[in-house]
This record gives sequence, structure tokens and C-alpha cells, in this order.
Amino acid sequence: MLRMSLLATLAFSLCQTTAQAQMSHHQHASEAACEEVELRCASKVTPAFASDGTLWLAWMAGGRVSVASSKDLGRSFSAPVQVSQEKLNLDWGPDARPQIVVEKSGGIALAFSIFRDKAFNGQVLATRSIDGGRSFAELQPITSNNESQRFAALGLDTDGSVFAAWIDKRNRVPAQQEGRKYEGAGLFFASSKDGGATYSEAQLASDNTCECCRLGLAFAGPGRPVVVFRNLFEGGVRDHAVMTFADPVTPGEVRRVSTDDWQISACPHHGPSLSISSAGTYHVAWYTNGKARKGLFYARSQDEGRTFSDPIQLGRSDRNPTRPYVLTGPRGATMVWKEFDGEKTSVNAMISHDEGKSWSKPVTIASTTDTSDHPLLVSDGQATYLSWMTKADGYRLLPIGDGS
Amino acid sequence: MKRCPLAAIFLFASLAVAAAAEAPSELKPFVRGSWQEVLRSHKGHPTLVHFWGVTCGPCKVELPLLGQFMKDHSELDVVTISADLVPNLPGAARAMLEKAGLGSAENWLFSDGFVERLRFEIDPAWQGEIPRTLLIARDGTVSTIEGSAEMPELEKWLVQQKVASK
Repeated sequence: MLRMSLLATLAFSLCQTTAQAQMSHHQHASEAACEEVELRCASKVTPAFASDGTLWLAWMAGGRVSVASSKDLGRSFSAPVQVSQEKLNLDWGPDARPQIVVEKSGGIALAFSIFRDKAFNGQVLATRSIDGGRSFAELQPITSNNESQRFAALGLDTDGSVFAAWIDKRNRVPAQQEGRKYEGAGLFFASSKDGGATYSEAQLASDNTCECCRLGLAFAGPGRPVVVFRNLFEGGVRDHAVMTFADPVTPGEVRRVSTDDWQISACPHHGPSLSISSAGTYHVAWYTNGKARKGLFYARSQDEGRTFSDPIQLGRSDRNPTRPYVLTGPRGATMVWKEFDGEKTSVNAMISHDEGKSWSKPVTIASTTDTSDHPLLVSDGQATYLSWMTKADGYRLLPIGDGS
Repeated sequence: MKRCPLAAIFLFASLAVAAAAEAPSELKPFVRGSWQEVLRSHKGHPTLVHFWGVTCGPCKVELPLLGQFMKDHSELDVVTISADLVPNLPGAARAMLEKAGLGSAENWLFSDGFVERLRFEIDPAWQGEIPRTLLIARDGTVSTIEGSAEMPELEKWLVQQKVASK
């Protein structure tokens, strides 16, 4: 059953490929298919489902962040709305992307980072819409501090508040003034009780984390955000850690996901993914090039991150597996990642029905022959979908299922 | 009469050489096949190939150290490749290279949007983390340094190259 459904997905993706390839314009010097603001020109696309089943996309294209919605699972979209009047110097780091959450009331909160100066210092900007995405409030910095901020992650709590976490370099200033060496950046957080219009004062969750990777954000329960991040452990080891908040203003302890022993003074540009099932299982997927293991890995925890299962390796090591993403839904957990064979990039998927103890065989569900965004997963509460922007074939939303 | 034009040509040529030495070097577009071109053109010479990017914090620290290393070791071929995503920023990349003393190195810039393919050509196992330095010996043996390189480590490798060539 699994194979049949995945094959159907693949066939669908190939049909889409043919249709959209005819529309695409190849510009090899760019990671985007075109320079305008439309969806087909986007380099990064982030999806979110509203509770009524409407798909919302926020994307980066032509120096703008735009938003549009679809009531037919991505076959057609509303007229895009740009969230700023002016063109922005958007953060184009490999792990940077706009963040979008859609409240039950229909409000939309957005956050994304820009490069604020010529030294590539970042700034996280936030905005919201209260009219169903027809207009957005003026962009506001998520924090008044002016040191570099990047890689914001937004999550919607059950009470409708918006939790935000990001990477922030403000603590390097006092360290430098005192002549101390400062490694990495701080993991900071804030929350919004007004749907993303204003955020509480930023607080430090953990200092000296990796400064150039996306964060994974999920909730262990109401008011209990969980963040997974690439940490800087003793000796400059950039392994992953998870933090479970006691409540939205109280950070928890830093717990190690895996001892990969990746000691490196570099920007991996390759952050982790986190999802938490209704049974409370933490699912984490990540990339490492450590002494203990190299490649993409998955592990799960059933005690809020105190202990994790032995990591299992994802993908074919001779095909450069990258960008893992995991999402739990009512029908189990799904994991996707990219592989590259020298000519084309494919997205592989596998599914678990037992809280991540065992997984189906990986199956290729989509492919493309030019550059592509990270593969993401999104759920409408029933099915799980691959959301994938590609330069050659445009945007794709593909159902992933096993027919159960 | 014949001497004047020759002297003028000589003067002009000298000025042109001086100007070329001072002018900011252009960044070569790194596209499909460029990696083989780099390997071919430096074959038989000890070569340091450095991958970096303008938004990479550790790169900003390492770049001036490499600039000094190049200045101290004229016998070494130095190649830099800005391996950020594209659209890239040639102006910012060039400015950082000049400031670090690497303006006269052989400098490349990723110029193909399909960066996965570029990286795969260089090393199928490389996922894009920067900085990254490849030390290519006369016989083509490649030593990879992931993350920031330690200058004493580079010195040691270069000494080994000199010993090997004797």
C-alpha cells in the first residue's frame, strides 16, 4: 500500500514537473528561476495550513517576502501580497527562510531576517495580518537590540500566543569589551500575546550556540516550547542539543541529542529538525560530520530529551544526503531529505507508525535537475504533504501517505 | 627616432604592469567544470584552495591569516573560492579579499545557482560547510582541512612539500 501511494505521488510530481518546466526560465547564475516577486521566482518557500484547511505560503523572491493562500492544495493561489513596500536585503543564508504561523482566528504572524549592513549583520523583522492576509502591518524588529540576529523560528501555542526563538550575537559585545573570546551566538526567545504584533523583551535561553544554522521548534504541550539547535559544546564541538521550556518564559536545561563529536570552527549552514508527537515522543533529525558519525541521522526521545535512542542513519552516503525534515501527524511520523546523484536532486521519504521505532523503506517521491529549496513537511491535521520549491519545476505540494 | 617609441612602449608596459599589480583582481566565475580547470592549471605545484563566504563568521577571522601566509610563501599557489549561495555579492567578496591581503590570489566566486552540483564536482561528501581548505601536493594528493585552518599546520604541510621535491 505504501509503495502504491508513493508511486502515485511520484507520478503526480512528474506531471507537475512537465507542466511547470515549460514555464520556467533558466538563469544559471541565480538560485531563483527569475528575478520578479512571483512564487515561481522564489528561492525559499515556507508553508502553513490554517485550521480551515487553507494552505498559506510565505516566500522570498525579488527582494520581497510575499504571502498567498490556496484553497485547493496548491493548484491555485490568491493574489500574492507583499509584506513590505520597499525591496529588502533579505538574508539569503542557506538555512534562512521566512516563518509563518496562522492562528485559529485567521490572524497571520510572520518573521524573517534581513542583512542590516554591509558586514552581513542580521536583523529579525516581524509583522502580522489581521485581515486574512490582505495587508500586513509595518515591519517591526523583533527585538530593540541592534546586534546581529538570524534564523528566527515561530511556533503557535495552544492559547494562540506566538513563540519566537532566534540566534542573536548581542553577548559578544560585553565579552569583547572585557577582552574575553566569545564563540558562536546566543539562543534568544520572546513571545507575543497579540498574534505577532508585538513581542516580549528578548531573553537568553542558552549562550554560545552555533551562529549559522536553522532551529527546530515544536511544543511538548500547551505553553511548553521545545527548541533543538546546533550547540557549541566544550572544545568547539558543534553537536545538537534540545531544550524544553518549563513555560514560555522559563528555559530548561541544555540536553545533548547525540555525541557526534563534530569539532569544527566553521559554519555548517545545516540545522536540525524537530517534531513532537501527541504521545510526547521527540523526533529529531540532523546533519553531522563528526568523528563518531557522519551524515544525516534520526533519533527519538520519550523522556523530554533526557535520553535519546541510538541514532539511525538516513539516506545513501554516496549520494550526499542533506536537509532532513521530520513531522508527526495523526497517521504517524514522516521524514524527508534530499539526495544528489551528480545530475539530479531527489527527495526521499519514509514513514513510521510506531513513534519512530521502525521506519518504512525510503522511497523517492520527487526530483529536479536544478537547484532547489530544502524539502519541508506540512500537515493539515489529516494528511502530511511535501512542500518543495524548485528552480526548474516551480512549487510543489505533494501528499505523502500510505493509504492507511 | 626609433628609440623614442621603444622607450615609450617600455614605459607604457611598465606602468601597465604596475597598474595591474595594484588593481583589484577580478573574481573568476566558478561554474560547472571550473574545478577541473583549477586542478589542471595548478598541476605539479603545491596549491592551497580555500573555500569561504562573506556571511561566515569564522571565515572573517581566518581570511587575513591566509593573506599573511600567502605573502610569506610566494612559492605556494593560493586559490580562493567564495562558496556562498548565489546570487552572490562579488563586490563584498572582492572587498573582503583585498582587505585580507588576498586580492592578488586566484579568486573565484560560485556563479552557478546549482551549488549542490558545484560542490559534488569538488567533493561528493562536502555539504557546504565553510571555511574549508584543500592542500594539493605536487603529486595531486589532497589533504582536506574542515573548518578554520591553523597556520602552523599549513607551515608543516608546506615544509613537507619542499622536502618531497628534493
